[in-house]
Amino acid sequence: MALRAPSRGVLRAWGLALAIASVILPALPLGPLFAQPPLPLAVLWAAYGWAAEDETGWRAPLALAMLGLLHDQLAGGPYGLFAVIYLSAYLVGRVAAQVMSAPNLVSLWGGFIVTALLTVGIAYFVAPLGLGRNVSVGPYAEAALITAILFPIVRPLYMGASGSVRAGVRR
Amino acid sequence: MARRRSVTRRAGGGRKIPPGVMLAIVLVAGGLVLVGVQAGRNGGFGQTVQQAGDGAAGAAGAAATQPARAGEGFFARLGGMWTAHSRVEELERENQELQAWRELAERLAERNARYEALLRMPVDAFGEGADVESSIAAQLVLDSGGPFTRTLVANAGADHGVRVGYIAVNENGLIGRVVSVGARSARILMLDDYNSRIPVMGEASRVRAVLAGQATRPPDLYTSPFQMQSPRLDFIVGAQSLREGERVVTSGDGGLYPRGIPVGVARASGDGQWRVALAASQRPIDFVRILPYVGIERPETALVEDDGPPLNSVSSVDVVGREVTQAAPTAPTPAPPVVRPRPAVTAAASPPAQPVQRAPEPEPQPETPAPQPAEPQE
Repeated sequence: MALRAPSRGVLRAWGLALAIASVILPALPLGPLFAQPPLPLAVLWAAYGWAAEDETGWRAPLALAMLGLLHDQLAGGPYGLFAVIYLSAYLVGRVAAQVMSAPNLVSLWGGFIVTALLTVGIAYFVAPLGLGRNVSVGPYAEAALITAILFPIVRPLYMGASGSVRAGVRR
Repeated sequence: MARRRSVTRRAGGGRKIPPGVMLAIVLVAGGLVLVGVQAGRNGGFGQTVQQAGDGAAGAAGAAATQPARAGEGFFARLGGMWTAHSRVEELERENQELQAWRELAERLAERNARYEALLRMPVDAFGEGADVESSIAAQLVLDSGGPFTRTLVANAGADHGVRVGYIAVNENGLIGRVVSVGARSARILMLDDYNSRIPVMGEASRVRAVLAGQATRPPDLYTSPFQMQSPRLDFIVGAQSLREGERVVTSGDGGLYPRGIPVGVARASGDGQWRVALAASQRPIDFVRILPYVGIERPETALVEDDGPPLNSVSSVDVVGREVTQAAPTAPTPAPPVVRPRPAVTAAASPPAQPVQRAPEPEPQPETPAPQPAEPQE
């Protein structure tokens, strides 16, 4: 008996669980392996993927804002910093989804790398506002880099495989 | 038949006793004699014989009951086979429970060891002026672990007496400072956070510097797994005197930290700068002691008990002079008893000098009763 592929809803649920875990795990005193970095910023995956698939829904940005505020609370940083970063990734992902007419894995990956880099730039300007001029975005850049490298592995959890779904949505 | 009849007849006629009855009577008589002989005696031949008989009877009994006991065990095992499966299940369940208890006991033992290590902290580990008796022990429940800040959350807050500015240490050294307090939690800013700046000094060289947190790169998992990039020493006064491996302690300058809390060890980095390998990060930070510490208040905010006249109302010379000289009394006061030395004489020509209590000279009577002169001591 052949195993059925999990449905899109199941994959999205797993993606959401992974995003929540990436927010909560660094806050637990589990040791340096669970710090961020090296733990990836899974919410960036969610933001990019949900932007491509949930183009007209309000749930994705609301969920990203909630995750960002939760991350801010747990990290002890100012409220809104991670919310801004995640929502900006969502917006960049929306733009990327509009630009790509026939996306494939490579183009999606490239789009995510650009998105991650842009969030680093946003963090560079926003983080000093809330945390002072001494703050360094180096660790965040490393975490974003790790997140970008791992993107192809987790992409099925956040977005469809081909451009057909996106084309269908766009219709 | 004829013979029996004849015996009976003889017994009835000549009263002839049957031999069995005769033997019984003899034995009864012998028994009575034996009892009568042993009465009132300990030991003796009878008791020896009795003990020997007991021994023999015991050996015989053991030999006789062994097969019975073996058979009893065999039947018990045979009967136990019917309940073996349920007993194995019961034992496995009990074993699982014991494993859980064992893990719990190991965790508690480890926690107990950590508490003991905390309680054995030497007093000088808290620095000078810290209120050690009022320290609060807490467990770390959250680690920011984020890319921007380096903070920890302990499970003691305002309800436990924690206030902003209190100092967090563990058995290795200084961890940081409480920066926010909730009802049951407090957030501690760690020394390697980029916003942390504390005045420190070399313990031996007394070189002063400012320890600046960096946290610009993740921890090295091999050399210093529990800290971010080592904090840097800035504004070093007399850097040439600082030595590699010298212990760095808080200097107490600025009044935010007590003086003398161990911070770490000075390390010269390749870029010509000095860094500090934090002592508190030698191992995972799980328990902390939060110390109340009230530093030196700023002169602008410190309460003045005796404010005196404003400085600009009189000259400083007047103020100083008034502190050292008594003002002339408006009313005459009784003069204190004065001890006047006698004229100088040599110790050999005169007896030992005795202090002479001089009667007070007649002076104007004060408004208040004069104190009674002290009685001469005998």
